Amino acid sequence: MARPRPDAVRLDALGALGPYRARNRLAVTDVAGREYAELSLVPPLFVDRTLKALRRAAVPGHDERIGMIGRAAGLFATAELNGLTPDEYALGVSRVGGTPISVVRSTMAAIAARLREVQHAVEQARPTGAVHRWDDPLTRAGRAVWVRRGSVFAVHAAGNHPGQHSLWPEALALGYRVAVRPSRREPFTPHRLVTALRAAGFGNDQVALLPTDHGTADALLRGADLGLVYGGEDVVRRYAGDPSVLPQGPGRSKILITGDVDWRAHLDVIVDSVSGHGGTGCVNTTAVFVEGDPGPLCAALAERLAAVPSLPPEDPAAVFPVQPLATAKALQAHLLHRATGTRAWLGGEQVLGEVGDGSAALRAAVHQLDSPEAPQSAVELPFPCVWVAPWTREAGLGPLRDSLVLTALTHDDALVAALVQEPTIGNVYVGDQPTHRMRSGLPHDGYLAEFLMRCKSVIRD
Amino acid sequence: MPQSALDVLDLPPGVRPEPDELIRAAMRWHFGPDTGSPFWLERAGSLPFDPLTDVRTHDDLTLFPDVTAELRDVPARDLIPRGYGSGPDVVGVFESGGTTGAPKRVVLLRDWLERMLHWSNLNLDAHGFPRGADWLGLVPTGPHIVGEYFRRSAATHGRQGFTLDLDPRWVKKLIAAGRRADADAYAEHIVDQAAFVLRTQDIGVLTITPPLLERLARREDLADLVNSRVRAIRWGGTQLDPDSRHLYKTEIFPDTVLCGNYGSTMILGFAGERPDLPEEAGCVFDPYSPYVTFRVVDPATRLPVGYGERGRVLVHHVSKAFFLPNNLERDLATRVEPPAGHAGDAVADIAPVTTFENETVIEGVY
Repeated sequence: MARPRPDAVRLDALGALGPYRARNRLAVTDVAGREYAELSLVPPLFVDRTLKALRRAAVPGHDERIGMIGRAAGLFATAELNGLTPDEYALGVSRVGGTPISVVRSTMAAIAARLREVQHAVEQARPTGAVHRWDDPLTRAGRAVWVRRGSVFAVHAAGNHPGQHSLWPEALALGYRVAVRPSRREPFTPHRLVTALRAAGFGNDQVALLPTDHGTADALLRGADLGLVYGGEDVVRRYAGDPSVLPQGPGRSKILITGDVDWRAHLDVIVDSVSGHGGTGCVNTTAVFVEGDPGPLCAALAERLAAVPSLPPEDPAAVFPVQPLATAKALQAHLLHRATGTRAWLGGEQVLGEVGDGSAALRAAVHQLDSPEAPQSAVELPFPCVWVAPWTREAGLGPLRDSLVLTALTHDDALVAALVQEPTIGNVYVGDQPTHRMRSGLPHDGYLAEFLMRCKSVIRD
Repeated sequence: MPQSALDVLDLPPGVRPEPDELIRAAMRWHFGPDTGSPFWLERAGSLPFDPLTDVRTHDDLTLFPDVTAELRDVPARDLIPRGYGSGPDVVGVFESGGTTGAPKRVVLLRDWLERMLHWSNLNLDAHGFPRGADWLGLVPTGPHIVGEYFRRSAATHGRQGFTLDLDPRWVKKLIAAGRRADADAYAEHIVDQAAFVLRTQDIGVLTITPPLLERLARREDLADLVNSRVRAIRWGGTQLDPDSRHLYKTEIFPDTVLCGNYGSTMILGFAGERPDLPEEAGCVFDPYSPYVTFRVVDPATRLPVGYGERGRVLVHHVSKAFFLPNNLERDLATRVEPPAGHAGDAVADIAPVTTFENETVIEGVY
């Protein structure tokens, strides 16, 4: 076990009896390999007991829950929590996760805003025919009641972007008790959020943070009724047949530009879709399909993205994500391998921007594909990496399938109608909208509440 | 065979031989043409030194090569020292886990079993295990030596031993094949069988592996049964992490004695938890020195790490019944000072290497 740095941030597990400093602690290192925090890892036995306590816990009233989440929003954005000011928190996310600090700061504000609007957000998912309570007068004549599918909800979080933590508090709003397993790459945000929720009035047995090693991860899902799991294609496959798990897999978000639209008027939005938020999100654009010659767009994208400097993540001007050099090199090698047969406008050596302290910025990559069916357009990597392909009417919807978000720059309403109707496209944005646009009350990958809730008939004499 | 060597190897169980004297006596026994085993007498020919003259001290054991892998193929009867005569009192032939390929075999002889039991029963007394209790064992059986030690411990320290079948090789095979659900079902089947015994018999001592203890504790009715009846739990076979151990001692089984064993087929027994340590000292294991000794080493150099540092566990077994020096176990441990006058090291915090996330996944943003 590594000896802890004396000033390392102490991140306890947040169990049903309060913060727990485990004997088994993981040194969380920053992108330069220096210990930055010490994360308590709990064993399956601890997970099991915590989830049992969550199951037994009382559920605060609906209005009380919404009030507490609103208070937590303010604390999350402004208070000193676990000894960290908001600025110190942002620095931790940035140094450890490699996320540009401006992204962390804007996400902190966005999470707070989403928490304040949580009631509005979950209400959007309630079927119009359903009421909240069994004793609503409408049920006397027979009515649907919107009820939880379980009581304990587990989240296996990822470390790519802090924004994902704006989603699961919706489960708390709906009356679930929630346990979050943080990623080693970004334990700060869920720790801060759970701490804020507890400070705002949620009990230790109502919302928990359970860091575990890889082998223990299953214990979390086993002890919960429903789970949300972030991961790659393997995770999606693994839970495909499990109705109790909602997998969040690759986003493979895309932009389509048809011949009746001049991409030059939308270059800002295209660049932003690729590299905004550090380019690490499932909602960042992985592929752009252009009706016509993709060359000029590639040239323009490459010119814009090549001008962005490589900076340490805590620099206010940083744009690209930063990783330990070894990780960055592995990603670069993987990209090089996958890019075989494509035309690199920005790629190869240009992807790595060494910062000088053992870390490297992952700079934008722009590759041109020679066909809409080229398999590379599905290769999503955790940095701004875009594949630009030609698109034809004959190719049709095929290459546009399997997209979390698709921004369509087109005046063709029939095409838009087909995109909206396509089952494997999650969200369709028409016009000058970045693929990473998200708003409270709009579904992300469907509404989370669609998964958490169901309707039940109640009829009373 | 000079009489003195046999004397040293045959000391009464309560008397510990001086470590270097034991080594010299053991060299005369295991490499004496009339007393050594066919395996070692044959093997001696290819050693670049003479065990009879060059191995004088406990530290000299490191001259030997690690022959553990050869125990996969050698006929078991060739491991019995000839000095036991034509009718050696063989308790049984036992095998290692078989996790990495074919299992390794050892022969358990009666005199060593009795010696080991005497020592381990005293260790249980020191932890406050009640004498004369009925025992229940959820431990590997069949070719696994721990099952034999369970039966004999129950019979000598306790009264009746209740057993069930447990085949860890099948569980490992299921897990390796990704059949997690089948492995779970098998483990639950084991716990179901234990439940029948716990409900109907007056079990005072439970011997169990940590994964099964965890499953048992997960069922609240069984945890209540344990709390109402079982006075001591002896765990071993795999490791118990310090946080789970703390939870058992403070929250789950607060009034039950918890005592660990760190065992291995290749040492023909196990090391016992050191009693009376303060809670935060963790779980320290002392082997039955000088017969069984540990050294915590850097696996690259096989040289000892400093006290308090992590390394791999190197094990020597030196008794009349068996000789196996320099066996490098796969476990990592912290090196701890042994009790005064004992050769070798004590070990603590035995653990496999942990991984937090799958580092090889590259595609996708998560």
